[in-house]
Amino acid sequence: MNRTILVCCGTGCLANGSKGVADEFQRLIDQRGTDARVKCYVKRTGCNGFCENGPIVKVMPDDIIYYKVREKDVAEILDKTVEKGETVDRLLYRDDQGRPVKHQHENPFYAPQHKTALRNIGAIDPTRVEDYIAAGGYEALKKALAMTPAEIIEQVKRSGLRGRGGAGFPTWRKWQTAAEQEATPKYVACNGDEGDPGAFMDRSVLEGDPHTVLEGLAICALAIGAEEGFLYIRDEYGLAVRNVTTAIADAERHGILGDDVLGSGRRLKLSVVRGGGAFVCGEETALIASIEGSCGEPRPRPPFPAVKGLFGQPTVLNNVETLANIPVILKDGGDAFAAVGTEGSKGTKVFALVGKVKRTGLVEIPMGATLRHLIYDIGGGIQNDRPFKAVQTGGPSGGCIPAHMLDLPVDFDTLKSHGAMMGSGGMIVMDDRSCMVEVARYYINFLAEESCGKCTPCREGLRKMLEILTDICEGRGQEGDIQLLEQLGHTLQDSCLCALGKTAPNPVLTTIQYFRDEYEAHIREHRCPAGVCVKLTAFRIDADRCRGCTACARACPTGAITGAVKQPHVIDSSKCISCGSCREACRFDAVETEGRDAV
Amino acid sequence: MTITIDGKRCTCEKGEKLLAVARRNWIPIPTLCHHESLPGQASCRVCLVEVVQQGRSSVVASCVYPVEDGIEVYTNSDRVRAERGMVLALLRKRAPDSQLIADMCRLYDAPDLDRVKVSVPGKCILCGLCVRACTELSVGAISTVNRGVTKEIATPYHEPSAVCVGCGSCASVCPTGAIEIVETADTRTIWDKTFRLVRCARCGEPIGTEEELAHAARKGGTEPDTLCERCRRRSMTDVLAATYGDRE
Repeated sequence: MNRTILVCCGTGCLANGSKGVADEFQRLIDQRGTDARVKCYVKRTGCNGFCENGPIVKVMPDDIIYYKVREKDVAEILDKTVEKGETVDRLLYRDDQGRPVKHQHENPFYAPQHKTALRNIGAIDPTRVEDYIAAGGYEALKKALAMTPAEIIEQVKRSGLRGRGGAGFPTWRKWQTAAEQEATPKYVACNGDEGDPGAFMDRSVLEGDPHTVLEGLAICALAIGAEEGFLYIRDEYGLAVRNVTTAIADAERHGILGDDVLGSGRRLKLSVVRGGGAFVCGEETALIASIEGSCGEPRPRPPFPAVKGLFGQPTVLNNVETLANIPVILKDGGDAFAAVGTEGSKGTKVFALVGKVKRTGLVEIPMGATLRHLIYDIGGGIQNDRPFKAVQTGGPSGGCIPAHMLDLPVDFDTLKSHGAMMGSGGMIVMDDRSCMVEVARYYINFLAEESCGKCTPCREGLRKMLEILTDICEGRGQEGDIQLLEQLGHTLQDSCLCALGKTAPNPVLTTIQYFRDEYEAHIREHRCPAGVCVKLTAFRIDADRCRGCTACARACPTGAITGAVKQPHVIDSSKCISCGSCREACRFDAVETEGRDAV
Repeated sequence: MTITIDGKRCTCEKGEKLLAVARRNWIPIPTLCHHESLPGQASCRVCLVEVVQQGRSSVVASCVYPVEDGIEVYTNSDRVRAERGMVLALLRKRAPDSQLIADMCRLYDAPDLDRVKVSVPGKCILCGLCVRACTELSVGAISTVNRGVTKEIATPYHEPSAVCVGCGSCASVCPTGAIEIVETADTRTIWDKTFRLVRCARCGEPIGTEEELAHAARKGGTEPDTLCERCRRRSMTDVLAATYGDRE
């Protein structure tokens, strides 16, 4: 039997040394040469989404999946698994009960997932168009070439697909509007300027399955009558830029793109534009300005890009994940796609599950699953079994959802009606040691730096919100600050030029809505209940609980902790900088926090 | 088509901007970054109005909002007053030395915002009209620099610009008078660069900087002006009079 070894070469696994692992496999296979009993191929795939356990190696067709594989493990995998079909137990994943997990689909992280946008990633070599074609790629484009633009748009309409970049605008309506415009030329563009802290699904798709994005764009181009398109990819995504560039060249060489798309006589020229690293360029009008070579600042809408976009021409701009769904919709039909999901949000969504959960990574699940399912079943619950406090959805413009709302179904409309948003699908999970005021301050600081600064409320309003939040975190909060933050927040929501400013107050408004008592503790009692805000927090060791293990003393960067082994330790408050390292290090919950005033 | 603004029926055409319709109908809406010759800036957000369309209400910038048939517009609703007041209050923290902003704050009941600090001293509200004027009318000597809260208007690297012609277009479109021009008998200084002023060959009034006249001549494909506007007309009149004129 022949075997294929799939080595994950996504950015996360590469950083963990997967290139060396793949090279070692190749070297040993070449060394064994034709003598080997089992013929074996190495394939370098895109990101499997479970990056914290990388490098990930899969052996097919046995479907055995190994984690944290090092170069020294390679020979053993070849000897045991490839030659004999046996498993190397120590490289298997251990589930919550500590049992080894042999197959990917049995892993609690992967088992509940439903892969649509990520369907090929981890199974194909993204740099080989043959792999994509063998996986059924470009079938949808062939099908679309035999359809009228109206028929294509009808399928997308039936699918109920909504934009995955954040706002959730119905994709077909953008296409329809652009298709109706008489002006030519028209353009298609892909928004790969993923900027939300913690989100990396677009990068994963661009790196791991670039052809699906090209196919989605090509189908869109047929639907609206465009002959030219752009993929705007942030330059920090080096591997994504490289793989997409390779994919375009390969597709052109195979006659899939270029002057004669699959022999139809249609023309489609795609090119990559590298983004300069401004968060605001993920906003569609700013992105268009950036492609045109102008400063990346949003423009007033209307006119919407579908009417007047790139170079003043009708333009459809779709997010990477949105486009990755298009080939599936065309191939299987819109109705099949719409069978998954909720009434208003069809299909699946990829989430970047990060923060204080046991299992972090990329998760694709049907719309409408609950936050609890996502965080507890897939994520495995909170690290060290601490209490869950909140989850920040939708990146910096999203909101914080508290524990009593864990059973909310995750879809566009539900999240929005609770002050948060789907955004690009970032899910940052926080435990009881996260200060919600500090979280709000962090996001407002990010947005104040990333605001383009064009309109008054965003630029000046965020600056003032940041000033007030910093004051609160540092013990200078005043009565009336909460109301003023709310007023400023409402002004931003109403009056900003673009979606960045309009959604920027969400972290502040939701944390005030759900965690008002924390704000009040900071302002009135000069106390940070979570023990995070440095200027408001003093640390103390509970002598009864301390076992004298010395872990805190070793973690302390200023040498403020003293005590003999197996004796209770003490913190010298004059040396303590309230960094919290001791609390992180303590395994007996002996480090307590209290307000500074109490010291 | 017809829309109502503060209860008044106004006729308008497709594509017209709400602000233009309101002004034609003598309904005042305050603006700062709006300039007839450089439309579409939409950055100051002082011209906010409330638009009700099919029962849904939203706040929009009237200077760029294209009218749609049947909309109801409110230029002074509670919501507009609150948001406009806050925007003006934020601008006062941004441009504390501007008398215009202070006056508008009084007129439109802006909250005082004493709780927070002044952001930067000066008069500039960063509306960007000066950059538009410089780019579209002249040479592109200034631009916005940085983004977000560190944004400012400047020449490259804060050095005297190599391409500035000292025409002063930037200063003339600035709504708050934030760009300083200093003139002496024969020089004009703007953006840290000093230009020689050319005087009218007939009357001796200053007619612009050498660079400005040369730039205009280059663009127009003519020789640089040597006369002021009035003297040029007068000299034309003299020629006409000499040709056809009254010989007494």
